[in-house]
Amino acid sequence: MNRDALVWCLVAATVLAVAAALVLSRRNKAIAAKKQQAEAVLTQRLSESDLQLTALRAELQRHQDEHDKTIQEAEEAAEESTKAVLKGSARFLQSLAAEQLALLEEIQRKYGGHSVLGDLLEVSHANAQMARKAQGIAVMCGAPLGRRNRPASVYDVVRSAQGQIRNFRRVEIMQQTGFALKASAVSPVALAVAELLDNAASFSQQGSPIEITFQRVQKNLCIVIDDAGVGMSDEDRQKASALLSGDFRPRLSHLGNQPKFGFPVIGLLAQQYGFRVDVTGVSRYGGVRAVVLLPEELWTEEETAPAEDAQVSGIRGAVGRPEPVARTAHGLPRRGARQVPIASVPDRDATESPAAAPEDAGRAAGRSLGAFQRGTLSGRNLASAPSEGSDDA
Amino acid sequence: MNDEPDQELELTSALVPLFVITNGRALPPDNAYERTTLVSAQEGATASARTLSPEARQVLELVTEGFLSVAEVAAHTHLPLGIVRILLAQMEESGLIIARKPVPRAERVDREVLNAVLDGLKARFGA
Repeated sequence: MNRDALVWCLVAATVLAVAAALVLSRRNKAIAAKKQQAEAVLTQRLSESDLQLTALRAELQRHQDEHDKTIQEAEEAAEESTKAVLKGSARFLQSLAAEQLALLEEIQRKYGGHSVLGDLLEVSHANAQMARKAQGIAVMCGAPLGRRNRPASVYDVVRSAQGQIRNFRRVEIMQQTGFALKASAVSPVALAVAELLDNAASFSQQGSPIEITFQRVQKNLCIVIDDAGVGMSDEDRQKASALLSGDFRPRLSHLGNQPKFGFPVIGLLAQQYGFRVDVTGVSRYGGVRAVVLLPEELWTEEETAPAEDAQVSGIRGAVGRPEPVARTAHGLPRRGARQVPIASVPDRDATESPAAAPEDAGRAAGRSLGAFQRGTLSGRNLASAPSEGSDDA
Repeated sequence: MNDEPDQELELTSALVPLFVITNGRALPPDNAYERTTLVSAQEGATASARTLSPEARQVLELVTEGFLSVAEVAAHTHLPLGIVRILLAQMEESGLIIARKPVPRAERVDREVLNAVLDGLKARFGA
């Protein structure tokens, strides 16, 4: 009886436990299912908001791009209008400076014998510097450069550049060349060299030399400018190279209060006219070596001028060996009237001979004096007395 | 100036300005290298002509083997007189040329005075 009761009790407990386990497991399943459902919903929402976010981001980007574009357009428009304004004034200055240079030259020729010439030379130096600045601004604004319609020797082009900087006496051209620049290249190369010289002069010590040499390297002609300055840092070199290649064009508005448009101008010119400029070299003085590399399209071998030679030898012939018919009308009667040579022969010997090499020079002086004397004598013989008198008066 | 906006400006002035030819030197004093001063190249000066500027070389060529007045040098080189004077001063400094001054005006004998003296002598001594 007791055992029965115990068995029943156990059975009942087992049944209860099983029932409880069943109930629990069912609840568990329900919870799991709910959880899954909730997760799915969440994931879906997440992806939805992700999508929205990307869409929003894209829109933001678009707006930003538009904004940038508008700013850029505005900047470009401002740049263009600035350029247009400057271009007009630069052209005005340019033509005025050119006109003044031509005028000054005329005045210098007119008053060539007057002491005012010294001052005129200084005025034209100042004017040449102004002309360079005006040309530089014109190039920056995309205006055409003043043009020369004659080819010129590279030596003269460099001398023209030399005249466009302040301390031009520091520049030394070490050699002459047998090369000439084509007419179209004269102005741009002169301006580019002038800007390089200006740079060399401003970044080296006052009074230190700036040397120019020429080299022919394969098919290129190089103008080499050596200064004795402090040189450039690597960063400066990189910046300069970018500017000189013409790849990087700074805006006018970015040039600042004390605009340095030397390198940008050179870069623009080089790109436009097809030459190259490099400033990465080191000069023999430890400063900067600037090289202007002119491809063969821009230069030719210089022709010698036979006409000028003939003229010179003709004059020489007339001086050494008098030809009365040709010379009496011009030089000789005049000189005869001065009645100089015989009187000053001893004078000249006394002052000049000791300085010159003793025997050789003496003989040469004798020869030239003899020639001179023969010339004057024949001149006097031919020139009649009245013409002498009137000449003297 | 805006009539022909993109027409190129033509530069008519000389490519090499005169002050570069003289290398910025000042004019010599007025009494040096007068128009009638005679100049001639020193012996052996042509050897150093290679290092000279084209203008100085032209002057040297003109006065080699003979004397030429400063005025004539200026005329032949087509350079203003003052520029030639500066070049000559520079060349004499470096021993390339010699210059011979003309006889000063006071030393020149006046023909009329001479004639008057001659007439006087003739009148007095009846030559």
